[in-house]
Amino acid sequence: MFKRMSPAGAERARHSLSLAIGVLAAFALGAVIILATGHNPLEAYGALLKGSFGSLRAIGNTGAKTVTLCLTGLAMAVAARAGMFNVGGEGQLYLGAIASSMVGVWLRGCSAWIVIPCAILAAVLAGGFYAFIPAVLKAKLKVNEVITTIMLNSAAILFCSYLVNGPFKTSESGIAAGTDALLPEYRLAKLIPLSNLTTSIFIAAGLAFIVWYMMRKSVTGYEMQLTGQNERFARYMGIKTDRLAIISMIVSGALCALVGMFEVYGLHGRFIEEVSNEFYFDGMLVAMIMRYQPVGIMLMSVFFAAIEVGSASMELAAGVSSELVSIIQSIIIFFMAAETGVRAIITDRNARKALIACAVSDAADGGESNA
Amino acid sequence: MLETVLAILQNTLRSATPIILAAMGGQFTEHAGIMNIGMDGIMLMGSFFAVLASYYLASAALGVLAAILIGLLMGILFGVLVIRFRSDEFIIGVALNIFAGGVTVFLLRTIFGVAGAFADPAIKALPYVSLDFLNDVPFIGPLLNNNSILVYVSWLLVLICWIAVYKTPFGLRLRASGEHPESLRSAGVNPNKLKYISSMLCGMLCGLAGAHLALGYLTQFSEGMSSSRGFIAFACIIFGRANPPKVFLASLLFGFMDALALRLQFVGISSNLSGMMPYIMTVLMMVYVVVTDNARKSRTLKLNAG
Repeated sequence: MFKRMSPAGAERARHSLSLAIGVLAAFALGAVIILATGHNPLEAYGALLKGSFGSLRAIGNTGAKTVTLCLTGLAMAVAARAGMFNVGGEGQLYLGAIASSMVGVWLRGCSAWIVIPCAILAAVLAGGFYAFIPAVLKAKLKVNEVITTIMLNSAAILFCSYLVNGPFKTSESGIAAGTDALLPEYRLAKLIPLSNLTTSIFIAAGLAFIVWYMMRKSVTGYEMQLTGQNERFARYMGIKTDRLAIISMIVSGALCALVGMFEVYGLHGRFIEEVSNEFYFDGMLVAMIMRYQPVGIMLMSVFFAAIEVGSASMELAAGVSSELVSIIQSIIIFFMAAETGVRAIITDRNARKALIACAVSDAADGGESNA
Repeated sequence: MLETVLAILQNTLRSATPIILAAMGGQFTEHAGIMNIGMDGIMLMGSFFAVLASYYLASAALGVLAAILIGLLMGILFGVLVIRFRSDEFIIGVALNIFAGGVTVFLLRTIFGVAGAFADPAIKALPYVSLDFLNDVPFIGPLLNNNSILVYVSWLLVLICWIAVYKTPFGLRLRASGEHPESLRSAGVNPNKLKYISSMLCGMLCGLAGAHLALGYLTQFSEGMSSSRGFIAFACIIFGRANPPKVFLASLLFGFMDALALRLQFVGISSNLSGMMPYIMTVLMMVYVVVTDNARKSRTLKLNAG
């Protein structure tokens, strides 16, 4: 089926097929779950679609969610390409959010042209530094980064909770736990009224382009890929693999931190304890489903954003709990894994059959010539 | 003073138990050469199904059984995807965690119609074990007495797991399946079979750990109640080099940090700040084990060279 294409093209086509099957199967299973809970799947999925693209406001919200998913997905991909599994994006996001928020509070009164760049810088430094710790432990000591980043997530979220309930707590009444509000002129401008879409989408587009360029077109990106695929080979090629892996983690942490900054400056106007609802893990899913391909991640995050934003309308209109969406999202991976696995097994079996057939015919030939 | 120490040690046992149970499961997969980071999600599923069964069937024992069964199912799912279909264990583990988070919240809202947490007097808790003769023993008595039943089960499991892994033919094969699968194959044993068994055992024990979380002391289910304990169990496995008694000690160490953090709240330290301790401790544990490992390796190299 894929024989006439170039190897890379065939691989991509195979992945697209696997993805299509995974998505369809996940939605089919989702429909079964909706039926089982006594609701109408068509009505539910209709509401889902309407909630994500049905109005200008819905489109704006989907766009805003795309920014989050795309940047977190790319953050995961940048690190994973260099062989680093950054599961700690959530913590990096929190630290970026609180650092940028406090810059806005401390520089209150300065021009927005000073505050916003400083906030970006603070977020990048906080997130980058927090990703640097597990990165250096992994690169220099081979400490498993999956565990350390997860632990650092919990630590960062607790630390932020401590800060906004203690030293950085706002004096305003009626706010449960958060920092002081930012001045309105520091907030990122809304592109569509009443929606969450802000000018952050332009910054995000620029960042996505830079990440794409770095991963696909630059020497650094190629070296990162070599490091991720075969670290020892990359080292023999003279690539400084440790340094690359650490840099990739810092970039990853900085991207997550910027997502946190956008949440603060775009959406909430201050740091609040619930600044993220496991956003990074959704981004990780997107990145893993698209096998860390930057363009694929950008496209897939629109799709994931749409179903996440639409899920609230689905809950309202059809009575199906919005959590169904995270079930569907995670099941896509299981189906894709199963599909790829089954195909690999069939290929193996065919190859083995062909080998046996070859051996049999060889033996037969041998027998004839002897006679 | 003595009372404070006693309270901390009691809480140590409480906090350590779910970690011990999950880690005993995880050491099987670790020996089989599989990194199962989906343990946290399996625990969460175990907690939910334990509450579900305990609530509707009015029996804590059936709750535990349900948790073990769902754990087994998740273990099989993980095993099929990772062993048979050769998927990336990291990706499947992460997806398993997200899946478990979604399923439990979805079911919590759909079945019980609540968000956040579900607690009800109809949920039957696991019994406490109280031994009369221990009451007369000072200090040790109150510490070891009146714990939830799975606390004692977890200690027994440490012994059973140690025997199973290091003293039986099964254990030998299990370890070979992770370290030298080829030699196992040449001996006529399919290493994948042992990997499957390890994955199923891991699922069941993680389910049991979840049951303890939900029915041991609190008798409730709350969203994300495993709160990274599955990952901490994983860190304990690495710290204890997958050797059950050592893993047990590592889990106790974690439990101690957790109990200490709880205690510090009473002396006016922010619970958020003290709550960070167990997580930072885990990171330090990971660093320590690697550093000592490297030191040992370089020492062996020197010995060999000399």
